Amino acid sequence: MFDSLRKKKSEPAVLSEMLTKQRRYDSLVRALHTDIFRYAFWLCGDKHVAEDITQETFLRAWRSLDSLNDDKAAKAWLITILRRENARRFERKQFNYSDVEQDLLEDVLSTSHEEDTEQYWLRRQIGKLDIEYREPLLLQLIGGFSGDEIAAILELNRNTVMTRLFRARNQLKDALEAPEVRGQSNG
Amino acid sequence: MDDLQFRRQAYGDPNNQSDEFLTHLAEHEDDAKFIKDLKAFDHKLMQALNISVPDDLADKLILRQQLSQHQQSKKHTRYMMAVAASVAFIVGVSFSLLRFTPVNLSENSLAHVHHETKALIMEQDIGFNDVNFKLASVDGLSDSKFIKQPGRVFFTSYCDFQGVKSLHLVMADENGNKVTLFIVPIEKRIVLEEAFADNQYKGQSFQTADAYMVLVGEPASNLEFVKKEVENTFI
Repeated sequence: MFDSLRKKKSEPAVLSEMLTKQRRYDSLVRALHTDIFRYAFWLCGDKHVAEDITQETFLRAWRSLDSLNDDKAAKAWLITILRRENARRFERKQFNYSDVEQDLLEDVLSTSHEEDTEQYWLRRQIGKLDIEYREPLLLQLIGGFSGDEIAAILELNRNTVMTRLFRARNQLKDALEAPEVRGQSNG
Repeated sequence: MDDLQFRRQAYGDPNNQSDEFLTHLAEHEDDAKFIKDLKAFDHKLMQALNISVPDDLADKLILRQQLSQHQQSKKHTRYMMAVAASVAFIVGVSFSLLRFTPVNLSENSLAHVHHETKALIMEQDIGFNDVNFKLASVDGLSDSKFIKQPGRVFFTSYCDFQGVKSLHLVMADENGNKVTLFIVPIEKRIVLEEAFADNQYKGQSFQTADAYMVLVGEPASNLEFVKKEVENTFI
């Protein structure tokens, strides 16, 4: 009785609005789910958790899709939601950091054992990188953001971001060139 | 640009496109090679970062969104159904309560008279055929009628005794005192008192074949006279 009354008002308009929103969401998913998933993975170090976070991120994005005005900003917007989701995960249950690292090592091992050992080793090094150095690097390489954009997303100033990027690359390069570390991790 | 600054910028972003940076590269061959290596390193990093994404992830994301959408609309319909059901329930309960509470005819009559003061001001002169016409549409009184004019009828209208549709007439006794007459179809839940009064009006009631008759007038009025009149003209 009420439903029919309610629908009578402006069904075609509402319907087309819904369709536009749905189409917008679909293209957002298709265009960005790869980057978002990878970012989530490198943030948490576990594929299943990464998938969960990605799901939550996109669901939240759907609910507030109307607030996204500029489609060009979509990636930064999604990453902001994702970072919040990831932080929420830590509020929910207390993870042991060393456990997370362990998960990462296990997982990468299982998915990439046929791949080049150097790449496998590099992945371990990226996983070992401190989160404050890892995240700007992820934003630069996966997100393709400039220093200013990274600074905006992480709410840091640009100099800090550039310093962290410098240290991240430096640490990775050092690790790559230090054979004893390599020997250790391979053994 | 000194060497330290250059290294910082290079490590920060090997793809730096600022003029200063590019000029430095053009001038220093070694550094250009260093940048080339860094870019190659970045390429390796990129490949390391590009872990495989589950094939069906995009579909899962869309599915999850549509399920939540569906659930929301279902929740909404359920809510609307609940509201509709509650309203129907309230209506049902109050309706049956109304139907089954006993109606005290004398109290209600007095209340009506007090409420409809304008009825006693009316000075119309209504023929008994018009009154019969109104009677015909009252449930349970369709067979009753006045066979002749019962004195002057000043006012007539329908009224409602807690769900029982009745007729409200204003007549007069031999001295011209206005007397209100209610004709109420006989119903089980009606409670009849033969004589009643409050501080302003007195009343009496009696029963005919199909109806309760309730007369209400001022203390000075002659209710017996009107009662006789009605008994003689109403069948």
